[in-house]
Amino acid sequence: MIIDILAGAVRGGTSIMYAGLGETISERGGVINLGTEGAMLLGALGGYAVTAETGNPWLGVLGGALAGALLSLVHAVLVVSRRANQFASGLTLYFLALGVTALFGVSYVSQQINAFTPVPVPGLSEIPGIGPILFDHDPLVYIAYVAAPVIWWVLFRTRVGLLVRTAGERTEALEVHGYSVQAVRYCATVAGGALAGIGGAHISIAYANSWFENMIAGRGFIAVALVIFAMWNPIRIMAGAYLFGAALSLASVLQTSGIAVNQFALNAVPFVLTLVVLAVLGRRTMLAAPDELLKVFDNSRTT
Amino acid sequence: MRLTRTARVCLVAAVVITACSLAACSPAVSSPETGGSAPAGDSAPGADATTVGVIAVGPKDDFGYNQAVYQGVEALREQFPDLDVLEAYNIPEDDTAATTMESMVAQGATIIFATSYGHLDAAKQVAEAHPEVVVVHQGGLLDPVPANMGTYFGSVFEPVYLAGIAAGAATQTGKLGYVYAIPIPQTLANINAFTLGAQSVRPDVDVTAVSTTSWCDPATQADRVASLLSSGVDVMTQHQDCTKTIIEATEAAGAYTVGYHADASSLAPEGWLTGSEWDWGPLYTDIVQTAIDGDFTGSEYNANYRANMASGKNPFVASAFGPSVTDETKALIAAAAADLEAGGSPFAGPITAQDGTVTVPEGETPPIETIEQMDYFVQGVTGTVS
Amino acid sequence: MSQETEKAAPPLPPPPAPQTTDGRGRFLSRGSTLLRWVGALIAGLVVFGAFVLANGADPFAVYADIWTSTLTQPGQFQQIVLRAAPIALAGLAVVVPARAGLVNVGGEGQLIIGAVAAAGVALWLTPVASPWLVMLLMVLAAVVAGAAWAGIAAAMRLVVKVNEAVTTLLLNYVALYSMLFLILGPWKDPAALGQSTSVELNDAMKLPVFAGTAIHVGVALAVVAAGAVWFALSRTTWGFRLSVVGGNAEAARRAGLPVVTLLLTALLIGGALAGLAGFIQLAGMEYKLRPTFGLTIGYVAFLASWLSRHKPLPLLIASLVLAAIAVSGNSLQIGSGLPAASVNILMGLVLLAVLGWTSPRKVRS
Repeated sequence: MIIDILAGAVRGGTSIMYAGLGETISERGGVINLGTEGAMLLGALGGYAVTAETGNPWLGVLGGALAGALLSLVHAVLVVSRRANQFASGLTLYFLALGVTALFGVSYVSQQINAFTPVPVPGLSEIPGIGPILFDHDPLVYIAYVAAPVIWWVLFRTRVGLLVRTAGERTEALEVHGYSVQAVRYCATVAGGALAGIGGAHISIAYANSWFENMIAGRGFIAVALVIFAMWNPIRIMAGAYLFGAALSLASVLQTSGIAVNQFALNAVPFVLTLVVLAVLGRRTMLAAPDELLKVFDNSRTT
Repeated sequence: MRLTRTARVCLVAAVVITACSLAACSPAVSSPETGGSAPAGDSAPGADATTVGVIAVGPKDDFGYNQAVYQGVEALREQFPDLDVLEAYNIPEDDTAATTMESMVAQGATIIFATSYGHLDAAKQVAEAHPEVVVVHQGGLLDPVPANMGTYFGSVFEPVYLAGIAAGAATQTGKLGYVYAIPIPQTLANINAFTLGAQSVRPDVDVTAVSTTSWCDPATQADRVASLLSSGVDVMTQHQDCTKTIIEATEAAGAYTVGYHADASSLAPEGWLTGSEWDWGPLYTDIVQTAIDGDFTGSEYNANYRANMASGKNPFVASAFGPSVTDETKALIAAAAADLEAGGSPFAGPITAQDGTVTVPEGETPPIETIEQMDYFVQGVTGTVS
Repeated sequence: MSQETEKAAPPLPPPPAPQTTDGRGRFLSRGSTLLRWVGALIAGLVVFGAFVLANGADPFAVYADIWTSTLTQPGQFQQIVLRAAPIALAGLAVVVPARAGLVNVGGEGQLIIGAVAAAGVALWLTPVASPWLVMLLMVLAAVVAGAAWAGIAAAMRLVVKVNEAVTTLLLNYVALYSMLFLILGPWKDPAALGQSTSVELNDAMKLPVFAGTAIHVGVALAVVAAGAVWFALSRTTWGFRLSVVGGNAEAARRAGLPVVTLLLTALLIGGALAGLAGFIQLAGMEYKLRPTFGLTIGYVAFLASWLSRHKPLPLLIASLVLAAIAVSGNSLQIGSGLPAASVNILMGLVLLAVLGWTSPRKVRS
């Protein structure tokens, strides 16, 4: 039972992790994207459509990433070049994505695809306990294991990461060295959207293996909460994603065992937990936030 | 000083708002609205209809409930080539439903099918505002029944009971899985009928019922199915609006599928046992014909119309069998079907609820109204009505 | 149009230059505002048409549908007005805090909690109190609950310095799941045959409508509230001080303004207005809580507030426009067979155009 819960947490948390990692990159660069839900939706449809047309789920992942990146590019244009309010722009893009996927998704509802299937890792999947929890999943789950530390490394140990973080902390330092803050933010936002798109694609082509209107059902907003919960740290994102994934999938295992659960209380867990963390560690959390992001918060009334 | 000033402003605002709203209320109270449009005089509701409107809660190709509605609509088109059929899918169960039906009426529809359980309130509202329009609702219960309204439904639990027999005969592990959305009486009756059917061939069977709290949330469905499969379930069925995710996951795991809403055997070529599916065409056609003839008011459809297998008109029918169903099982199902056609019921007593109370005593058969208000699981079901 | 004003700012370490915030609208003549709006709408329609075309449908038939379903069909305008009312109220819930520089993304949750409180009052007191008293208490409960919900965010902003945009967004979900828990559990109407809704309001608790129309008094309430907010923001000391705080909180503090009180009242009043929106949606439109109650009204209202540049009276127009787009979607698919949600594209495009290309003036942060 514990094994089922943990395996479910890993499976269900993966899409949230991708989106959360993407949002981390974006916010580290100083851009908050409430359109993450929309990027996931577009990614889910893009991934599904490409997989349906080509028969290759790997191309589907690419399609999902492109779709998510495209939506975030619009966000970048609005908030970086046009200096629109980031919250308003993000929500607008959410609605835009909702509409676009409803319009173009209709013809894919009834289609079947060659979806990802679980690929047990030889040897490792045999280990009692750990095997089924960690090593009996679809390939996107395994890639996520690597993605979080890699993104941490890129953000904190490479020049590229330094640029992104500087764009989010001290823009003037970036300018002094001759870099364009705008260009860096464009890249960070678009990369973030691509990851959210992969997260969405994970749901449609590796997890639920179908496309339905509005199928992300709030997981993108959970990812936004996750980034704050994890204090903009990719490694903590990983842990938090599995924690939130567990909250969502706990009900399955408990119900299967005949234990009554309140699904809504569990659904609220990611949000309540984040609020509690903020309340308890409020000042510390906000210290961890990129400075430019705080400015977005504080100057958000500029039109 | 500052605070008082702030407070004063708030107070003034509050007083202004309250006063104005009260002032606005008083004249309206004395003259509440009566009907949005004038009654169509002496003509019967829906008579000589040229336009029919249909609203559904989900997409028309969901391998499920809404696809069945769509197929019924197609049958209508075929039967009445001159009829204009307006369709609207993905209509949520809030005031949007009323708005949509209103705009269908505005476009000339004089017969309206509201096909989701939650569209009932909106349907009532539209029927009241337009006495000249026939509004029929799929699955609800009306009391009283207005002259231009009716509800219709099949005995869904009958083919589900038959499918339960197929499931009980097929299971190796004795564990059946049931993924449902929310515990409405129709769902509970289905789960119970399925369990009773399975028990009739395998008394020790366990039916694990899990809820997704949503009619279509594929990711949550995937999670529920994974968990059921991992607990040893080897026959899966469901009461969801979109059925694809669950069926494909079950097939991939090599377990058996019992379908619901529509024939989805193409999704599970190996594991498909049987299922229950809608065949709305004949009933939709007959309702529309009755209304066009001007005979709706007072007809059997101007009531809570329920068709069952005994009447031979149940719009909910058993699906075709899959490859693994044995002739022996088919014979058992045929015998049970014959019993239902002869007036038998899956809920013929004794029926015992999960907690041990006898809900239907030996020798009794509950009427359809009782079945449609079922609020418990029978013994043999694992799960709680929450 | 705004290029010349947004040229690269000098790389100064502590950036935000004090912004003059009052009277910004005067930078724009009314005519050019109108022109931009029309331009944004047309741009939205054209791009939307391209999307429709790409999907194989006839854009002109779709436009015709939108036209007839919003403007020419009898009763449709009333539908639009009815939908616009809660959007306007929840939009005011964004407008007031915005004046103080606060971002209230929580209209959605405050609206739901307001409706939940009102429904609770109706549930418990209908049998024991007179209808008028119950209705009065429903309004009161909705307002207080909405304010309290926003108050959580206000408290976290003031005590632990957590930004209210983040907390109000998170609280939306807590509100939604709380409501779902109630209507699928303790508040489920036993007579609704298991439908997950609360018990329908007693007829006496439904908002009366204006004679001969479907317009309920909640609509008037929204208009009055917009007027009151306009008055409070532009004609009172409180409103003036709010905009000083919104312009530069630090300067306001140095000038001796009660910044904490001002921020708190702004957010509380915002929450109260959203709670009121929940009340009129409950007592005027839906009469019972259901899983889709008030869905996305709060977010649409947030965007309506941005469309109107956080001005109460233009907000009424923005609410009408967004409501019209939503209503057209419901009838769109009847005529063109497009999914109703497609009109979200139109809404999104119009908003994009307005957000990105109609700002009168940019301030580099």
